[in-house]
Amino acid sequence: MENQKSFQTNKVLVIGGGVGGIRATLDMAESGRDVVLIDKAHSIGGLMTQLDRTFPTNNCDLCTLSPNLSASGREHRIELMTMTSLTKIEGEAGNFEVTLVTKPRYIDTDKCTACGQCHAKFPECVNFTPGLDHRAPTCMRYPQATPNAFSIDPDKCQDMEAVASVCKDGAVLLDDAVREQKIRVGAVIVAAGAEIFDPAHLDNFGQGAYPDVVTSLEYERILSASGPTNGVLVRPSDKKQPKRIAWIQCVGSRGIQKKAVSYCSNVCCMFAMKEAIVTRERFGDDIETIIFYMDIRAFGKDYEGYFQRAKDEYGVRFVRSRPHSVIPDESTGALVIKYCPEDGTANEEENFDMVVLSTGFRIGKDLRSLAEILDIDLNLHGYAATANLDSIATSRPGIFVCGMFESPKDIPETMVQGSAAASCAMQFAGPLSDADSVADTDLEDENGTWEFAVEDEFPPEINVEGKEAKIGVFICDCGFNIGGILDADALADYSKTLDNVAFSEMIGHGCSSESMQKIQSAIKSENLNRIVIGGCSPRTHETKFQDTIRKAGLNKYLVEMANIRDQNTWVHMDQPEKAMEKARELIRMSVSRVKYSHPLVEYTLPMNRDVLVVGGGVAGMTAALTLADQGFRIFVAERSGQLGGLAAGIKKTIEGEDVSTFITGLIDRVKNHSRIQVMAPCIIVDHEGMPGMFTTGVQTGPQMYYRQISHGITILATGALHNRPDEYLLGKHPAVTTQLEIDTKINDDPDSIKKWDTVAMIQCVGSRTADNPNCSRVCCQAAVKNALSLLDINPELRIFVLYRDIRTYGFQEDYYQEARNRGVVFIRYEDSAKPVVEEDGEGVNIKFCDPVLGRDVILSADCLCLSTGFIADDESTEDLAMIFKLPRTDDGYFLEDHIKLRPVDLPVPGFFVAGTAHAPKNIRESIAQAKAAAGRARTLLARDEINLGAAVARVDGKKCASCLICVRACPYNVPFINADGYSEIDPAKCHGCGICAGECPAKAIQLMQYEDDQIIARLDGLFERMN
Amino acid sequence: MDKFEPVIVAFCCHYCAYTAADMAGSKRIPYPPNVKIVRVPCSGKVDAIHIMKALEKGADGVYVAGCLEGDCHFKKGNLNAAHRVEYVKKLLDETGIGGDRVEMVMMSAGMGEVFAQTATTITEKIRKLGPNPAKFPSNRKAASNE
Amino acid sequence: MITAERKPLEEIIECIRPYDRILLVGCNECVTVCAAGGRKEVGLLASALRMAFMKEGRTLEITELTLERQCDPEYVEELVTMIDAADAVLSMACGCGVQEVARRYKNKPVYPAVNTKFMGASVSQGVWAERCQGCGDCILGLTGGICPVARCSKRLLNGPCGGSTSGKCEISDDVECAWQLIWDRMKELGIQDRYEEVMVAKDWRTSRDGGPRKIVREDLA
Repeated sequence: MENQKSFQTNKVLVIGGGVGGIRATLDMAESGRDVVLIDKAHSIGGLMTQLDRTFPTNNCDLCTLSPNLSASGREHRIELMTMTSLTKIEGEAGNFEVTLVTKPRYIDTDKCTACGQCHAKFPECVNFTPGLDHRAPTCMRYPQATPNAFSIDPDKCQDMEAVASVCKDGAVLLDDAVREQKIRVGAVIVAAGAEIFDPAHLDNFGQGAYPDVVTSLEYERILSASGPTNGVLVRPSDKKQPKRIAWIQCVGSRGIQKKAVSYCSNVCCMFAMKEAIVTRERFGDDIETIIFYMDIRAFGKDYEGYFQRAKDEYGVRFVRSRPHSVIPDESTGALVIKYCPEDGTANEEENFDMVVLSTGFRIGKDLRSLAEILDIDLNLHGYAATANLDSIATSRPGIFVCGMFESPKDIPETMVQGSAAASCAMQFAGPLSDADSVADTDLEDENGTWEFAVEDEFPPEINVEGKEAKIGVFICDCGFNIGGILDADALADYSKTLDNVAFSEMIGHGCSSESMQKIQSAIKSENLNRIVIGGCSPRTHETKFQDTIRKAGLNKYLVEMANIRDQNTWVHMDQPEKAMEKARELIRMSVSRVKYSHPLVEYTLPMNRDVLVVGGGVAGMTAALTLADQGFRIFVAERSGQLGGLAAGIKKTIEGEDVSTFITGLIDRVKNHSRIQVMAPCIIVDHEGMPGMFTTGVQTGPQMYYRQISHGITILATGALHNRPDEYLLGKHPAVTTQLEIDTKINDDPDSIKKWDTVAMIQCVGSRTADNPNCSRVCCQAAVKNALSLLDINPELRIFVLYRDIRTYGFQEDYYQEARNRGVVFIRYEDSAKPVVEEDGEGVNIKFCDPVLGRDVILSADCLCLSTGFIADDESTEDLAMIFKLPRTDDGYFLEDHIKLRPVDLPVPGFFVAGTAHAPKNIRESIAQAKAAAGRARTLLARDEINLGAAVARVDGKKCASCLICVRACPYNVPFINADGYSEIDPAKCHGCGICAGECPAKAIQLMQYEDDQIIARLDGLFERMN
Repeated sequence: MDKFEPVIVAFCCHYCAYTAADMAGSKRIPYPPNVKIVRVPCSGKVDAIHIMKALEKGADGVYVAGCLEGDCHFKKGNLNAAHRVEYVKKLLDETGIGGDRVEMVMMSAGMGEVFAQTATTITEKIRKLGPNPAKFPSNRKAASNE
Repeated sequence: MITAERKPLEEIIECIRPYDRILLVGCNECVTVCAAGGRKEVGLLASALRMAFMKEGRTLEITELTLERQCDPEYVEELVTMIDAADAVLSMACGCGVQEVARRYKNKPVYPAVNTKFMGASVSQGVWAERCQGCGDCILGLTGGICPVARCSKRLLNGPCGGSTSGKCEISDDVECAWQLIWDRMKELGIQDRYEEVMVAKDWRTSRDGGPRKIVREDLA
């Protein structure tokens, strides 16, 4: 199998540095692959870095995304190439040769410190991470840009040498030129994103012509704290705060005219609601917000609740109408929207101060030519063509796709596909089986450790315990950044006078390899045992200096950084004397604190590489097979006696793919796989341990005997249930059925369908209700699919679909169009006025209010088909949540670690989720998430041991009063009162926030790295010489 | 002493406020040098004692800066911090030092301007309040050496 | 557990005003659990007192120490090495602890820094409520596990009185009627009929009415 496979290269190419590409890159790097990440822009980050806040949590992205980005820059397996495109690809899966062309940046990114001098003197020549934000091309797109460097535009630059002379660091490369290189990769991941529809040519909406008509992304930038108005909401024309703002949905999407595309762009409804909510949150009733929409497509996890909150809590007004045009009133300057309300009675007219166009996505020329170079097929909308049940593989083996280029989608789905693509690509690239690596291989391990983290060799640690602190202070001048404001040499001299400082030196750029060596040799020659770096921010450089001192034999927690640049010289430029004084204080604080630092051990555990998959449906089986094929041993625990899960009841997908054959094939492979052990029926009884070392007790076999499984990773794919609410005579009248049952009937009994005259369908039965508030996501397309199949069998059939919002997102919209074209009648009903169903002999009568006629209508149907959707398997998720200590959503689905950025990881490390146990989704989406779960699991499985970090809380049992305050205060429920009667905090589970330490009334808890004595010492350092 | 320059200690959480401070740096937005930052992983780590000790040792004002409500990297540490700051305010009122010398502020990592503005506002406020009444030259040494 | 609350700072300051050197003693039992007198509160009070004195231009020397349990002589003995260096002791323990320190160190003034409140349980983080009055003759077995002595404002043994409205006591909407709780619980247990049984007058001699009490376990004593 895979572990015997000999790879020809360990390298994978990722095209596109948006969140999907970054996710795939990080996953592969963590799994031991070398990754080349290329992006045609100056810095990575893609579209997401421009968002102010994201739905449905309304969190600020920057805080959550930036660690991902800097992780990309740090990982030594990743080669980041910005301003680079692919021009050619030859060879085949496992052994491609790709040609990459890099445009000249004229800046050496290794030397550039982003000091801004060149930009200050020659603003027109220098780009600092420009990009999509056309409003502020020279401002920082976001401060944590990776790479953190400028670039120069040679066309606008008259005198490059003059620019070069400004740079104190010699980072300007005058003779930089286009570089071309060929590299060998085993697989390619295309994460190239999509383009945003430009509505400027739509004369009816006047974007571009009227300054106060903006796109949703432009509005996002206006809201953003780092945007062109610094977060002040003013309209572009007169810089006044608007009072009434309208959003117009589906601009350029779901249309047939004016260059619109037919598909739904998937995210615009949520995007518009988020903008409206954020606006209402900030301005309350000062700003009215109105959204003009066709259908509200809030089909994602917990999105329906967001829609309800927008309406009910935030007072966002929703108007179901597609306005024709926006016309400015010449006299008042107001933007007038004329529209026809749903009842079609009269034209309404309303005035607005600002209009936001919700523009969707499309594939432009660049992406089409990229596809041509890659020689992959595109679908009729120009997106990468993929198989019906495999959204990751393109038409060319070895080339995978993720994110928007596959179809329009939101961030969590992009993240899922990123991890899934990583998982797929790793089948074609891996460590070479050369002599060196064999020597490292743990031969005892039957799973085969065919990859190893490339760890630097570290010397043994010098024992500093009980020795007096001998502190070395190193001051960076960081070129002009620090040295230009204060006298760095004098600061180094001053540092020498401080207690316990044995050595002090000014070292220029502390982060250059030359300076790093200086620090290391000083540690050795002067026997230093604590280090203070006066320089930039520990946020960006602490790991680097930790590495430096570790290589010189010191524990990495014995270094401390004083931030005398970002938080001193950069902000006190106009007061150099004060900056010097503050620098002395900051150094004193650090020197005083570092005395109390002590070596810390990072917690590690040996990794058990077996995997437990709970649930034997499509998601569980896919995850199991993906990992088993890669050489891991899998236990599949299935509650029922049979594999297959929910999808076993489905015959065909809307695209016509034969699901039954697919499932049978999957079951066969799982049952016959040498590395998969299926336990069915099987129930989970108990569970303990930590990631890499779990023990789960199960009852299985015909006698339900108890046994224990040891495993390192757990994947939960326990699925959801078909909902069967007691409504509309379901189960009480033979003519009333569900979409799932009719799917079977279409296949098994087409003759009876031929006799029918009328079929009615009711959507949202048991979904979007008080009991089950979320949208079940799949029912709209199921209704459309079945309606089309019914018409195939009986073309004369009259079909009526009673719906609340049709949610055929993405390319499913085409099938909705087709159904309407073929005569299926779609009629809306309000949740407050549900249809009423009565028995009528062999058929049923359905009474409902027609919104256009405004009166009640009675429809007689031979068959009433209810779209009942999903309901969480509350009973089993409740049990499992209790046994595994996992959180659930209010409606009983497992709650992921981060709803936006970590949709596959569960909050308990070592746990991953896939399929409908996470939220309602279709088969294709479940399969993608299963592959993603396998991919995320791989990042842990690649390790020999698990590093749990050192910033964990420790309890002094002697001081602990077992008061339970920490138990109650911990946001992760980690502390517990142990058998000895005092609080215990498992370092494997501690997240290191220190809230328990802050609350403990007995002062029995200390957070490592931030112990109380260290914090007090910092204050002592600050105040000791102040008078 | 010609003009009173307050010393202000700001306990900043790593994920939001400290990042916002760095961001103010990246954007070169000036604020008074009176503010000295102590980095903590989460504002919820800041013990009431730390705030008291800072004042006792000679700070004229202290503030704790965490993430925006709902955005705490550790779910709700910023709320714990806000409650503790309230508690310390009352204790300081009782002590006669004045609870208005301490503050809780919240900001996101992207809010460099807000960081700078907060630092400026608080510095101005403390400047108006005058020196911490618990610090006078003859007692200073005793306090910082214990 | 025994619950307590810190006294107003002003009152504490007045007590110790005559002294320059204070030994501030906390207790790691009940008062730690109810966040009134553990190591953390000792630190906070010490800091606050130092500042209050500094404000008046005085230097107060405070030694902080938290004993495992201030109501046991062995633990209180630990103060012996530092008692001479102090002019007075300020105790953050409950009244039992304060008295134990006073008994052991006869020539040192001892002042309480907390008001001892009641025997109670924690309702939720940071909230404690009275549950027991130590009457010496427990009747919880008769009242469905809810004590009318501690939780009925009138200590009625045969309640409720006419002041019980919608489950709340007439003294405040925040106070639940103990007899309503007793009724609810009995119903839950299916023993409503016992509610009708009249409880005879209680012999309060087992309580404080019989004078200060003492327990002697002869096998241990």
